[in-house]
Amino acid sequence: MDLVLQLLFTGLGIGAIYALVALGFVLIFRATNVVNFAQGEFSMVAAYLMVVFAVDLGWPYWLSFLLAIGGMALLGAIFNLGVYYPLRNRTFLPVIISTIGASIFLANTVLALYGPQPQVLPGWFDTPGVQFGPVYLDSQYLLIIAVTIALVAFQYWFFEHTLLGKKLQATSQDKEMAALLGIPVARMIMITFVYSAVLGGIAGILVAPILFVSIQMGSTIALKAFAATIIGGFGDVAGAIIGGLALGVIETFGAAYISVPYKDAFAFLVLILFLAFRPRGLFGERVAEKA
Amino acid sequence: MNFTRRSVTAGLSMGLAMPALLRHARGQSAPMKIGMVLPVTGPAADSGKYALTGAKLALDRVNKGGGVLSRQAELVTEDDQTTNPGAVLAFSKLAAQSDIVAFLGSIRSTQNHAMAPDIVKTAKPVCFGGTDPALTKLGNPWLFRFRPNDTYSGRVIASYGVETLGKKNWAIIHSTDAFGTGGAKALTESLGKAGATIALDQGYPNQSQDFTPVVLAIKSSGADVIGSYFTFDNDLAIFARQLRQLGVTTPWVGSPSIAVSGAVKLAGPALFGTYGVADFAEDASAESKEFAKLYRAVSSVPPDNYSSWTYDAIGVLCAAIAKAGETDPDKIRSAILATRGYKGAEGEYNFDQFGDGLHGYNIVRNEKGAIVFDKHIEFTD
Repeated sequence: MDLVLQLLFTGLGIGAIYALVALGFVLIFRATNVVNFAQGEFSMVAAYLMVVFAVDLGWPYWLSFLLAIGGMALLGAIFNLGVYYPLRNRTFLPVIISTIGASIFLANTVLALYGPQPQVLPGWFDTPGVQFGPVYLDSQYLLIIAVTIALVAFQYWFFEHTLLGKKLQATSQDKEMAALLGIPVARMIMITFVYSAVLGGIAGILVAPILFVSIQMGSTIALKAFAATIIGGFGDVAGAIIGGLALGVIETFGAAYISVPYKDAFAFLVLILFLAFRPRGLFGERVAEKA
Repeated sequence: MNFTRRSVTAGLSMGLAMPALLRHARGQSAPMKIGMVLPVTGPAADSGKYALTGAKLALDRVNKGGGVLSRQAELVTEDDQTTNPGAVLAFSKLAAQSDIVAFLGSIRSTQNHAMAPDIVKTAKPVCFGGTDPALTKLGNPWLFRFRPNDTYSGRVIASYGVETLGKKNWAIIHSTDAFGTGGAKALTESLGKAGATIALDQGYPNQSQDFTPVVLAIKSSGADVIGSYFTFDNDLAIFARQLRQLGVTTPWVGSPSIAVSGAVKLAGPALFGTYGVADFAEDASAESKEFAKLYRAVSSVPPDNYSSWTYDAIGVLCAAIAKAGETDPDKIRSAILATRGYKGAEGEYNFDQFGDGLHGYNIVRNEKGAIVFDKHIEFTD
């Protein structure tokens, strides 16, 4: 039982990371109907910004966090203007290729500016974790789970109970109708990109003390987050969260009870099963209605 | 101007001979090109930077000493992207340049396996750092290893763990790539001969984000010592941290990756008190000290085997070309194989018939982040 609890905690912690990045995928997909393959690089850039501010410059952690998040908001805006906006009237394919190009550009820019050495980013807490009965609770995983819950709650409140949230939803559901109703569609899409970049950035900053800060950290997480998005149902916020958590738990238990070397295979086996038997994912009906 | 038969003949002769003379002169002055496949991008990009620094230090030394065959030596590099397809592509780009006389391959066994068929076709010497023993037993006459292979690391890890630490119940943790599986196999064989038992043989995929299941398996296995073959620094560091967080304090003797600067920096206190086999140890010899001094003058990172093997490879290769007296691949190959008693940063090179230059390892210990040399174990069989 102790083993199960330990694995469950770790699986949920890792799943929460996938879920945070998957949320960014979903938001941009809902707003623009394209997949942003640079979402993982948002996490990587934010983690490097934290290293620059908190480690290299030695500024307070909270200030470094705010600056890194501010930097990500700016990057999201630039990304929208440079990568999405010029291609907004084209089919989805050029936009997707554009996001892939942007992800390569971001990774190589950071490589050129910062060099290839992986970096250490300290966690938020001085205590690495606490022993809770038979289970060791890593403080960073606890923080990740807590932040994921808080962001999901915030997102629910924002989209369901604020005018701006409703405008964003309207834009994501039907851009032409939203424009006819006087909603500034371009600005709404800009806000979506900014928010997605911030979400990706938060995920990167949270995971960096566990996985370290490296150029490829974003792509490693994004691949699983993308799978989580498909499992949950592309375009569904609840699906992204549940898909991410499920993926984390499945691969952790699969590794412990079946095979560690095939850990990644379990995640992608589930993905293949969903693509074969339920391609819309767990909560995919809304996308079908939209189409 | 008077044209005599003699002056016309002399002029014609000069005219005919001049292109050949110029070509010869240009060949004499043109740099001696050595190709190098290294990771500039991807998860091992940091090790590529170290490898390049080591190679450049050796080249500077060679060139300051007059070069090779009176020509300045020069590196031509290609990025392997830390992937097998990337390595094959990088090598094929270099192999297409006919003026490259020899190559430096990868420190990663799996990439050398991937490049091996093209290396046979190119038929020029390739110095590499991968430690999978099979690489020099492929029947490929152009592969020369500049690190001790894992039959030696397995023997040293087993010998140190069983005889010095007195531990006989082992957990072997290894990457599932060619390096990790080759190393684990060698360690298992050595432990069998030493009378030890294997409580756990656990592979993991590279770039794992979580090692909790592996650590829990170690705890439940009852092993009293860990032997490891990790390929990437970040995997090793994540494992080390989770190992300590989940309360495992079992002694740990690792392959060289446990003592490289990247892993030591990332893992921090989680690696304190661990042991490792290391082909490079700063205090092992006068040559290793000299290399460390040169390296520290140009790098803020401490030297390790990523840079020491390329430093030695360039040194041995240039000495072999000089000894061969020309750049004919067969003659360079024979000269490398004939190398005896070359004192490099990693140890003394005595090439055997298979192309293995080194036959022993150092034992080092992580003392609060400092890698301390313990002893060198050399094998003659």
